[in-house]
Amino acid sequence: MSNLFVRKATGMVRSWSVFDAFIYAFFSINLVTLGFYSFSQMYYFGGGMIPALLISAAFIIFEVVVYASLIAVMPRSGGDYVWQTRIFGGGIGFILAITGWWFTLWLWTPIYGDMLRQIVITPLLGAFGMQDLAVWFAGQGNALFVCSLLTLGFVALVIFLGMKTYARIQKYSFYAGMVGLAIVIVLLFTGSPDAFKRGLDTNAASYFGTSGSLFEPTVQAGIDAFASTPLMGGTFALIMVTLPYLVFFNLWPNWGATLYGEVRGATDYKRNFSGMAWALGVTTLLGILFFLGVNRTIGWDFYVQANAAWWNYAWGYVTEAPPLPVWPNPAMLAVFLTDNRLVQIVVLLLMSTWWFGWAGTLFLSSTRVIFAAAFDRLLPEKAAELNKNGTPVNAMLYMVLPAILVSALYAYNVAGFRSITLAATQGIAIMYFGTAIAAIILPYKKKQLYEASPIAKMKVAGIPLITVAGVIFGGFLLFLLVEWFFDPWLNTGGVPPGLYGISIANTNSMIFLGACYAIAAAIYYGFKSRRKKEGIDLDKVQSEIPVE
Amino acid sequence: MTKLFFATDIHGSDICWNKFLNAGKFYEADVLILGGDMTGKAVVPFVHQGGENYKVTLLEQDFQITNADELADMKKKVRSRGYYPYMTNPDEITELDKNPELVNKIFLGEVLKVVQQWMDLADKKLDDSDMKVYCCPGNDDMDEVDEIIRASTRVVLAEGKVTLLDGVHEMIASGWSNRTPWNTHREEDEDQLKVRYEAMIANVEDPKNAIYNIHVPPYRSGLDDAAELDKDLRPVLAGQSIIPVGSTALRAVIEQHQPLLSLHGHIHEGRGTTRIGKTLCINPGSMYEQGTLLGALVVLGNGQIENFVLTSG
Repeated sequence: MSNLFVRKATGMVRSWSVFDAFIYAFFSINLVTLGFYSFSQMYYFGGGMIPALLISAAFIIFEVVVYASLIAVMPRSGGDYVWQTRIFGGGIGFILAITGWWFTLWLWTPIYGDMLRQIVITPLLGAFGMQDLAVWFAGQGNALFVCSLLTLGFVALVIFLGMKTYARIQKYSFYAGMVGLAIVIVLLFTGSPDAFKRGLDTNAASYFGTSGSLFEPTVQAGIDAFASTPLMGGTFALIMVTLPYLVFFNLWPNWGATLYGEVRGATDYKRNFSGMAWALGVTTLLGILFFLGVNRTIGWDFYVQANAAWWNYAWGYVTEAPPLPVWPNPAMLAVFLTDNRLVQIVVLLLMSTWWFGWAGTLFLSSTRVIFAAAFDRLLPEKAAELNKNGTPVNAMLYMVLPAILVSALYAYNVAGFRSITLAATQGIAIMYFGTAIAAIILPYKKKQLYEASPIAKMKVAGIPLITVAGVIFGGFLLFLLVEWFFDPWLNTGGVPPGLYGISIANTNSMIFLGACYAIAAAIYYGFKSRRKKEGIDLDKVQSEIPVE
Repeated sequence: MTKLFFATDIHGSDICWNKFLNAGKFYEADVLILGGDMTGKAVVPFVHQGGENYKVTLLEQDFQITNADELADMKKKVRSRGYYPYMTNPDEITELDKNPELVNKIFLGEVLKVVQQWMDLADKKLDDSDMKVYCCPGNDDMDEVDEIIRASTRVVLAEGKVTLLDGVHEMIASGWSNRTPWNTHREEDEDQLKVRYEAMIANVEDPKNAIYNIHVPPYRSGLDDAAELDKDLRPVLAGQSIIPVGSTALRAVIEQHQPLLSLHGHIHEGRGTTRIGKTLCINPGSMYEQGTLLGALVVLGNGQIENFVLTSG
């Protein structure tokens, strides 16, 4: 029996494919880029990586509920900026979203650049026998800065090509990347520790010009760097303190959420939820599978020690390069299990697609928020200008020019700037915290809107599901923020770097964060005052018009 | 100087229509202009179950109505999303499932009933004001809507005409769009659109002070970005693939004649402003189903836009 009659009208689209939604969310919590990169830096924790992955996913599923719910209640709005502005009013929404989606992305640029060289450039140059160039690209300073510029060039190219083209590149990258990952996992599960040791020595010599046995010296360098993170085990408390680092990898399933189209029912909520939740679940399982494969062939201890050896050097705690003079990219270590160079190159190329299918959206959200702010007259009109090809040239400049400066500070580690890597996650998490609070109060502050939404009947013990999920996700974010800012477990003496490097004791981190919020506040109040002089009351144009 | 308020694509939302009528006073505007697509997209059956009981499914959630208060509340919820409540019974539903023509008839009846209510409300509410109100139905609106607007004493039907808004600014208006995948009521090929636009533009005395109130946005303006659809009207690549769907004919006439301002809608996600040459182009977007009236306030000067801002009311 029909329960709704619809007519042919513009925008009456059918539901999108959950599998496609899964692909974009899956690529947002990118196991090979964000995952491999952050796992490698987490060498000094006491909590097991597998339980940490599972517990973090259990918390992040509530993030998925929060975002799927907000999209269902306020679809097509463009995300956090509009949700927060609508629920809190102009100032808070602007300052949190501009900092989270715009300024913080400047800091992500050199991090993307670092991943580009470690995951794509260095292993491939090595595989093609260009030893010196491969090692140079793995080095500090100029190499990282060059790779940050290459990243910016790639992102600019993607913006020029448009999302129609890039969405397809992403989909092809998904399939190619999955084939590559499957081969890596097969290699890890079919190889042996002895074969790995042999492969490491011969291939490292061929790729990077090393000599002699690498295994034992790497183990020693790792021990010297206090490598300790276990695969399993650890107390609950020790596992929990790994999470503020781990979320660098998996806090982002909402990036792939579908914001377009008219939400017509609870099914659409479930589709968005399913796309993100499956992505989180599958990525978590693949992460566990990867860890088990590493444990089987490379050896968990060696994996952690090799990472410790590299980051101890890259972070400047020692000046002597580790025996393996590049980042121990696990995909590269896995291809060392075969002697066939062609297979090695093919697998490394396939694994590169994880970066190319992911990095292009670096400035996508930033561009959206710059446009939204310009349309609200909180930025100059020119910020949202398109050139004749439809490219947002000025918005790109707003992103690219500061990103070059931040990349230089990061690449050359000016005044220890590289220690604030996790601030890239922190800035966005603070914005998410605002969104979680908005979700908690939505059913009460926007009662009519909520009650006429597709999630009005979704309740837990009589309390709206969005509120319950918001409290859990907000509580999780609060825990992360307390850990990041106060670093209470290791930083009791107030001495940086602590576990996360971005506590209030890290002057760089505080200056970066403070400067971002100060600039956002200055822009908001400056433009508000300017518009008032021009006769536009920005508070009023965001206020609700009386209905009666 | 004249201050105009423009909103569009309210798709049957009572809340948005009320807000639109109140927007003049709220924003201190001189002129109110409503772009196309006034009419709703769905009819929600209230299926009688005997006594005061009804079964209603809204947004795929089932509701059991057991008394008059709940019934009134449910009707309000349905109307708040721009849908039309329809009192019916299981036998009629079975008949409607078999006969789509009957559904179309019910749709038309409900649409016209609400448009009539809206015009009555406007006539009453604006009776003692000198506010000018212009409507121009869009491609989703049935032809019969025009007659009802034409009969209003306070609302002016702007379709196909050159209207003098003040002593300086003339407005041309059309709700016709280029072809859509939905084969809606007012759509045609680009060359026909060009003829339609040129016919109005030929009667504009001062092209540089003109306002183009055209429902469809210009092609590749950023105001016309929509999710790419496949042949089954499913968003391609989960809505990640965005393409321009605006009118090339409109873009050509804007580039050629360079009006002062152009006002658009049609693409609800396309909220924004842009410049094509000297022309300021605006699509305020739409969030009608949330009861939020998105709009644009524009202060018109002689030969220039004095100021503008997008609103969210």
